[in-house]
Amino acid sequence: MINTGPIFQGKRFRAGPVAWVIYFNMPTDTKRVRGPEVSQSPSLFSCDPAAVLPSKGPRADGRRRDQVDVRPVFVRCGLVSQAKGSAYLEAGNTKLMCCVYGPRETDRKDETDMKCGRLTTDMRFAPFSCPERGSWIQGSQDKDFSLMLHESLQPAICLHKYPRSQIEVSVMVLENSGSVLAHAVTCASLALADAGIEMYDLVLGCSMRQDGTSYVVDPSYMEENGCSSGSCENQGGLTVAFLPSLNQISGLQSDGDMTEETLTAGVRTCIEGCYKLYPVIQRALTKAVCKAAPSQSES
Amino acid sequence: NPGDYFQLPCVEWALASRTCDKLCSAEDCIPGTGVYLRHGYIYSSLAGYVLRKNEGEELPVISVVRETETQLLPDVGAIVTCKVTSINPRFAKVHILYVGSTPLKDRFRGTIRKEDVRATEKDKVETYKSFRPGDIVLAKVISLGDVQSNYLLTTAENELGVVVAHSEAGAQMVPISWCEMQCPLTHSKEFRKVARVQPEYLQA
Repeated sequence: MINTGPIFQGKRFRAGPVAWVIYFNMPTDTKRVRGPEVSQSPSLFSCDPAAVLPSKGPRADGRRRDQVDVRPVFVRCGLVSQAKGSAYLEAGNTKLMCCVYGPRETDRKDETDMKCGRLTTDMRFAPFSCPERGSWIQGSQDKDFSLMLHESLQPAICLHKYPRSQIEVSVMVLENSGSVLAHAVTCASLALADAGIEMYDLVLGCSMRQDGTSYVVDPSYMEENGCSSGSCENQGGLTVAFLPSLNQISGLQSDGDMTEETLTAGVRTCIEGCYKLYPVIQRALTKAVCKAAPSQSES
Repeated sequence: NPGDYFQLPCVEWALASRTCDKLCSAEDCIPGTGVYLRHGYIYSSLAGYVLRKNEGEELPVISVVRETETQLLPDVGAIVTCKVTSINPRFAKVHILYVGSTPLKDRFRGTIRKEDVRATEKDKVETYKSFRPGDIVLAKVISLGDVQSNYLLTTAENELGVVVAHSEAGAQMVPISWCEMQCPLTHSKEFRKVARVQPEYLQA
């Protein structure tokens, strides 16, 4: 058995670089997992248990349970001058912005499609957006969200009108206060409309969180991640991306453990939430169009 | 809101339409750009202004336009203005800058093959004597190309070819004939495939 212990324990090793080379070339013992030399209590590393939220009674911000009570939304188009189209959305404390570039030539030749365009989506969380500071490098959660965003937006865009081109959508979450994916979908479709990219319909997103027998629509960060003190069954979240005028669902993401009836009822609830958002989004789009060309409306 | 109209001869403007507004039924109008047809009704696919034009056919053409220039993609048969980036005995690579008279926000790449430079004597063409890097060229799109290649362009017409070129001395050259340009400073002649620009477009 090769005992690397004493060498490792910091006895002054004066033999010089040659000895270190011998150390690194020594065959390591692959059959045994050696624990650390110094051990510490695991309770030092455990994180605080998630706050337990009551599953009855009013929600923290005054909205009602079991009702389609979405947060009021502030939306503005055309804030980023460098991008072709952009949109900024605030829902409660969730803030995100989306930029759209395109249609432009595809960067990689082997992915050029002659018949229709390509859609590239990218969703990033700013490091200061979550309660714990993240990093600028994309994590796996960002990649998952980007894929879901892609899946929700692709059916809505008339890609066959942009052959050999690519459209880039990039969403940046400035503050994550719950139901980020749903609002990202809404923000992205607004930015696409602001960029003048032809679409069959706007895509709106809405999410809900099921907590035992009651549900909350458009959950905040605490409601999304908190665990309930009540029953263990029927716990989960659901996000739906919906095309209101065409009455079609383009994206559905759910996690957790819910029964079939709960899921179908949840989908219907989210669709209702999307319908509530629709007039606000329409008004913002009209304002952006009128602002861009005031001369037409004067005459 | 179809209530607000501005009446111009043959053109009617209505106020903004949003994406997927139902504009009218397919029997009333012919769909133009920025709209799509579904279940017998015409819906708008852009957020912009509705434009209804009577173009002499029985039904008016309805389309939705945005005041910011719609991003045009170079289409087959379009005249484009491009800048030569590199030349090669077989072809010249260009960046497409304008499609018609609308500038592109992003540059698309194109290729002018040796056999597409002129209409006559195609095999005796030397690209070095037709284009140089930095020239502004009027060309026409013949094909969108395939996956590997760029847009294919041609200058095989009298009105297509080099419009602006700088001599080796740095001055802007004056065209003398269809194949030569002269530098005003050094009076040296250089070979280019020159475009015959209509006199009203030439500025002194």
